[in-house]
Amino acid sequence: MESLGDEPWDVVIVGTGLQQSLLALALSRSKKRVLHTDPNDYYGQHEAALTLQDAERFAAKYAAASSGEGDEKKQSVLRNATVWKPDDAEAQGLKFPRAYSLALAPQIIHTKSKLLSSLVSSRAYRQVEFLAVGSFYVYEPAKDGSDPKLSRIPSSREDVFSSQSIPARSKRSLMKFLKFVLEFDSDDQKPLWEDHADAPLTDFLTAQFKLEDGLKRYVVALTMALDGKASVRPGLAAINRHLTSLGTFGPGFCAVYPKWGGLSEVAQVACRAGAVGGGIYMLDTGATPKSSDENEKASLGLSNDITVQANSIVSGQETTTGDQAISRLVAVVKSPLNSLFQVLVEGAPTPTVAVVALQSTPSPIYALVHSSDTGECPVGQCVVYLTTMTTNGSKNELEQALTMLVKAVEGEESTSPCLYQLYYEQAIGDGKPTTEKLGATSALSFPPLSATLAFEDSDLEAVKTAWSLVMGDECDEETYLVFEDREGADAEDDV
Amino acid sequence: MAVSEDSIPVLKVLIIGPSGAGKSALLLRYCDNQFDPESSTATIGIDFKSKHLAVRGKAYKLNVFDTAGQERFRTLSTSYYRGAHGVILVYDISSRASFVGMEKWIDEAKSNAAPNAILYLVGSKLDKVASGGRAVSYEEGQAFAEANGALFCEVSAKTKENIKRPFVEVVDQIVQKPDLLAGAVPRSNNTTLNIGNLGNDYSSACPC
Repeated sequence: MESLGDEPWDVVIVGTGLQQSLLALALSRSKKRVLHTDPNDYYGQHEAALTLQDAERFAAKYAAASSGEGDEKKQSVLRNATVWKPDDAEAQGLKFPRAYSLALAPQIIHTKSKLLSSLVSSRAYRQVEFLAVGSFYVYEPAKDGSDPKLSRIPSSREDVFSSQSIPARSKRSLMKFLKFVLEFDSDDQKPLWEDHADAPLTDFLTAQFKLEDGLKRYVVALTMALDGKASVRPGLAAINRHLTSLGTFGPGFCAVYPKWGGLSEVAQVACRAGAVGGGIYMLDTGATPKSSDENEKASLGLSNDITVQANSIVSGQETTTGDQAISRLVAVVKSPLNSLFQVLVEGAPTPTVAVVALQSTPSPIYALVHSSDTGECPVGQCVVYLTTMTTNGSKNELEQALTMLVKAVEGEESTSPCLYQLYYEQAIGDGKPTTEKLGATSALSFPPLSATLAFEDSDLEAVKTAWSLVMGDECDEETYLVFEDREGADAEDDV
Repeated sequence: MAVSEDSIPVLKVLIIGPSGAGKSALLLRYCDNQFDPESSTATIGIDFKSKHLAVRGKAYKLNVFDTAGQERFRTLSTSYYRGAHGVILVYDISSRASFVGMEKWIDEAKSNAAPNAILYLVGSKLDKVASGGRAVSYEEGQAFAEANGALFCEVSAKTKENIKRPFVEVVDQIVQKPDLLAGAVPRSNNTTLNIGNLGNDYSSACPC
């Protein structure tokens, strides 16, 4: 068996988060020698999908609030993690730990995302099952004696047209706005918003389109801006992405979701492609750079006492200096919440993800509701991923939002219990990779993925940077993530 | 062919087991009728191989997946097991250690594959018996397989003895389980998107 330690690896990739794994995929047809390790005994790192057992270990590992002090204060990207379940969870319906796959990265992926085109061009998409993201809803609190409810946001022009809940006059304004958004970045339309690019989107909607409050809430909810202060430029871009993504892969949906745990699945498939290409995989193995002389390749000490040398090292940032974070509550609910997953457009696939926006101060709360078709929970249950900006009371607020959401779907008398929950906070990075020299070795560290509800293509840029670093002189951009299928379509028949 | 390609059920079968057990040799002999007596290195570049076969008068396409070296440090991902209809577990009958290790592989297969997936135990390198190399008896292999609800046979990729048997029997078992087979018929459910069909249009539409 070949030895791990003798000659330098072209790259040692530390961590199997999405970006490291996509790098492994990108290198899988090169002749580069790749050693890919992860300190956890599961794939995916910050983008992993956890069984309940994994979730408990995850919570124990990231239970701490922060580490370090003063100017050197460095905070773990993941922190304040806890798990909870009722004492009689099993009696109430919680199944065995492996029946669950809780996604740490439940981002929806717009059909126009470069992530999808890269998975297609690299042929890795064949191993991922993509599901449709369905409707977007706004939570409407009780008013005038009516119960709280979820209002579905009409998001296509046909949808607006047929909507019963919008008065005719408002429809015209909304239609005008939707038409504008589709071309907002054109030379014709730019003058309308460029001067207010950083102003709040709601003000712009009032001034330019006279949208009434209810419609403005719909529009702002569609931006999925977690800080609730969507400004004009990013807000319009987000809505444009939403609208132009509709129908790309079929009727009725604008985004997809990888079955069995979101980006975790993409990371695993990318790692397998790395292995098929000859990369060596070691989980449950930490790797720590050792000091090295100026002109020599850096060594890495693996936790199994092997030392390896590397021409380059690519890892992921585990700590940040910033204070901003998002709070996430992952809850298993003992109800399928079926009414959120209806097919509303003829010929559309059954949606498996619903997005719900709940107003809250200082920032809104978003819930991504996953049906059991995602493979993340048993039939008859659903998994709700709630997110908001971290403040002192976020955990409480998310828990309340969960209760409100379930009651709005099932009625006030609903008793569908929460069977399990995982709470944690995730730092917002600056989106930039860090690079340094360790002797003659280049080291690059990926930033955490954007703390957003939809996958951001900008997170792919660092992967390409890392790929160029490893490829060096052999870097040919035309070949980046563009591969042929491994297997000829058919071996000879043997019927 | 009488039926169109699209309507043939596609079955996914995995081959797992310790390094050096002869997994790739089994795969290559069965699918490509190739055998390289010198090859003992880890397998690079093989994702899966396809083979058409007919069982009980009906055609199936079998996609057989190799471990891609991820068995070496036991880093097979949970995603590898997704949608597998059958798992073939391979040990080397000339290596006691490889047989002893099957306990863990069976556990891994049972906890990661679908509960109703077919398990099949294969003792490989049957040709070594002739030179006195057997370290695991047929009865031991058989008993272990039975205890774990798996079928069993011994094969030689070198001499081709029994080489088709595990695959044919796995498929034969799969097709007798309608609930297991249901997922193999294309477009049998309305949730999974066929991004593959859109792939071509999609790439050409993307100028990047």
